[in-house]
Amino acid sequence: MLELADVHTYYGSIRALRGLSLSVERGEIVTLIGANGAGKTTTLRTILGLVRPRHGTVSFNGARLDALSTDRIVRLGIAQSPEGRHIFPRMSVLENLELGAFVRSDRDGIAPDLERVFALFPRLRERVSQKGGTLSGGEQQMLAISRALMARPGLLLLDEPSMGLSPILVETIFRIIQDINRQGTTILLVEQNARMALRVAHRGYVIQTGRIVLHDAAATLLRSDLVRKTYLGEK
Amino acid sequence: MRESLGPPALVVALLVYPFVDRALGLQTVHAVSDGMIYVLLALGLNIVVGYAGLLDLGYAAFFAIGAYAMGLLNSPVLGSPLYGHAWSFWLCIWLAAAVSALLGLVIGAPTLRVRGDYLAIITLGFGEIIPVAIRNLGDVTIEIGTWRPIERLNLTGGENGVNPVGRPVLPGVPFETDPVPWYFLILVVGALSLWAMSRLRDSRLGRAWMAIREDETAADCTGVNPVSTKLLAFALGASFSGFAGSIYAAKLQAITPGAFEFQVSIMLLCMVVLGGAGSLKGVILGGMLITVFDRIVLSQSTFLVRSIGRTVGVPALAAIDLTLWRWFFFGLGLVLVMLLRPQGLAGRRVQPVAADAEGDQPLAPEPSSLPRVEAIPMWLRERMTRAAAQEEAILDVRGVSKAFGGVVALNAVDLVVPRGAIIGLIGPNGAGKTTFFNVVTGLARTDGGRITFAGGSLIGLRPNAIVARGIARTFQSIRLFPYMSVLDNVLVGEHCRLAATVAGAVLRPPAVIAEERRARERARGLLAFVGLSGKDDDLARNLPYGDQRRLEIARALATEPRLLLLDEPTAGMNPRETETLTDLIGLLRRELTLSILLIEHDMEVVMGISDRITVLDYGTRIAEGTPAEIQRHPRVIEAYLGTGYEREPAVPSP
Repeated sequence: MLELADVHTYYGSIRALRGLSLSVERGEIVTLIGANGAGKTTTLRTILGLVRPRHGTVSFNGARLDALSTDRIVRLGIAQSPEGRHIFPRMSVLENLELGAFVRSDRDGIAPDLERVFALFPRLRERVSQKGGTLSGGEQQMLAISRALMARPGLLLLDEPSMGLSPILVETIFRIIQDINRQGTTILLVEQNARMALRVAHRGYVIQTGRIVLHDAAATLLRSDLVRKTYLGEK
Repeated sequence: MRESLGPPALVVALLVYPFVDRALGLQTVHAVSDGMIYVLLALGLNIVVGYAGLLDLGYAAFFAIGAYAMGLLNSPVLGSPLYGHAWSFWLCIWLAAAVSALLGLVIGAPTLRVRGDYLAIITLGFGEIIPVAIRNLGDVTIEIGTWRPIERLNLTGGENGVNPVGRPVLPGVPFETDPVPWYFLILVVGALSLWAMSRLRDSRLGRAWMAIREDETAADCTGVNPVSTKLLAFALGASFSGFAGSIYAAKLQAITPGAFEFQVSIMLLCMVVLGGAGSLKGVILGGMLITVFDRIVLSQSTFLVRSIGRTVGVPALAAIDLTLWRWFFFGLGLVLVMLLRPQGLAGRRVQPVAADAEGDQPLAPEPSSLPRVEAIPMWLRERMTRAAAQEEAILDVRGVSKAFGGVVALNAVDLVVPRGAIIGLIGPNGAGKTTFFNVVTGLARTDGGRITFAGGSLIGLRPNAIVARGIARTFQSIRLFPYMSVLDNVLVGEHCRLAATVAGAVLRPPAVIAEERRARERARGLLAFVGLSGKDDDLARNLPYGDQRRLEIARALATEPRLLLLDEPTAGMNPRETETLTDLIGLLRRELTLSILLIEHDMEVVMGISDRITVLDYGTRIAEGTPAEIQRHPRVIEAYLGTGYEREPAVPSP
């Protein structure tokens, strides 16, 4: 469904991705784990066309993405919940969610989806008319994920969805990720919380300094020495 | 940050230029001298716009005030009690600067509440008011019933302006129609102003301006008083236009309100933006380019284009006056600069790293080494031990409430931080934890309750005053000063412990030099302590995510706190970085008796290092106790921990 082949992305003269290749098949949850600065967010930015790869190709359902503008890419069915949330602070929760559905043409489908995200995150229903900027950090995280879901994307990119969430909510979020996936959304999950990410994912990639150094079934990665030592904090 | 003020060759060139001009018969000294006055104005505006980040669209008003201060004091023709005295030019120039600075304060005060667009609109209005007022004060009559205390008073010369204005008197130097003495006068004033500005920029005051520009809230919470800092920028910026205006009036020998219209403010802003806001070199370059283009290039090329027009027989070209097209060219130039080089001609090129909130930095950090006891700066240790008070509770919060509209964020919360303790503050998202921090640090006002710190109440204090009392914080979403260097970020933290005034910053007496050197040593020591040695000159925004978190802690420590509030310090960190940070927090408490209040969602961290934990839910305290008690507390498990937590490996309390 999504295919990155030998992607090199630069920021000025700094190489952020150095020949990264990965693929996501329809129906999968694929996780990308790695240290801060390894290139996880850059990978997502490259997929979305926020930065252009200097080499290599990004394709989605056979269509090349690396020359398209971001809004075109989103219209093809890719939505992201960005790290740092980036919600619209002066718009209400409801308006944020409605904007998430901006690219959709099926008016009738929007109301049930709104119900669906309120069912996933009851807290958002309580705050539906509050301005996005007045939400707490964790609530903004819920809003960012929900806003992405409102686009009903074929492929959902999640950047650190568990960041800043309480333990019980972290569990909820990962359960929701699995639910969303079962309902037919393919997910590429970037996570600092490698343990939880690998528990819910089908496959995983480990990224170090802009390259994939390991990739395997998630359950296998959970047992690998590299992952356990470096990303799970085991001694 | 330091820029040299120009190589010796430039100085020589500036000194011989008028003589070369005379020898070649170019007659450009007048235009260049006028240009230098505008450069001086642009430099003053740069303090407000470039350093403090306050968009001022009415700066020409201060120029007018400087010019009229000189004109009214030093013109023999007008009839007020002030006129007709032989005020010396050399006295008036200072009076003009003082009057401008005073008006800078008067204008600055009401605009401080507003920011960004609103501030720009207010300055725009002010810029319009001054010329209109000058026009209308040429014929003032006050009538109260039949009593006319003031009748037909000509205060400003009205539309006709003030003419003539007294010239400077200096034995042996003829300040007459020959532009050369004026050129050197302006050169000297300009050089002195530049010298003062560069020293101000590199002082604690310059750092405070830039911190305000970068993030006013973070600056406030780092001990910088935004009100006095912004007022100082307004006043100092205005005072330089007082110098420029008074020389302008004396040189031109006549001032009219038309010389201070909106366009002048915009032209000055163009100079700053074209050259690069915040860069002295850039502003000089931008100012010279625009004036030389305006005063010399346009008029000269008019002749050229006309003769071309005559030769090729195009009447429209033969009759053209390019000086009428100046705003067209300014506009075009500005558009091109914004498109091709938005940071300005001399502005620092900033590496296009991923947008601000992106934690993903291209260069992976080395696994950070564990913090070492020996690395704790000695001065900090001494300061802390001396400050260690006798009272048991350093922070005592009783019954604090806070509501935003109808939403109750805090509901009669009690929380005590004993001296030298690490207290965890946990709770579901939106429970009011960060609001609690905001209330303690003065960012939000309490609706009720008491907050006592080291025996004194914090209620009603501004954030920077609370920092000065000894409470420092970090932010959930990192709030550094992104376009300042790593070292400067820490130095801003020391701001409230430093004493240099404007005079001290410019004149640099030994005490200020020593203070500044000590401040830099301390900042480097703190950077070494948190593991950021050798990155002094990097921009804060270019640091990897984990380093940014540690820089924020170094900045907080630089304020010499007795209580440190950490808001999710390990969010977004991997296990190894988390471990390093946890060790660092433990070390601060153990070695420095620093009290710490910690919001954190990583249960291994909270349970591992907290002495006691308070749990909030919907703004209400639902539990308080030791980590072991909290872990078993049914309400906490239900509302916060969930059942999955038990599956995680338990970490024993120390």
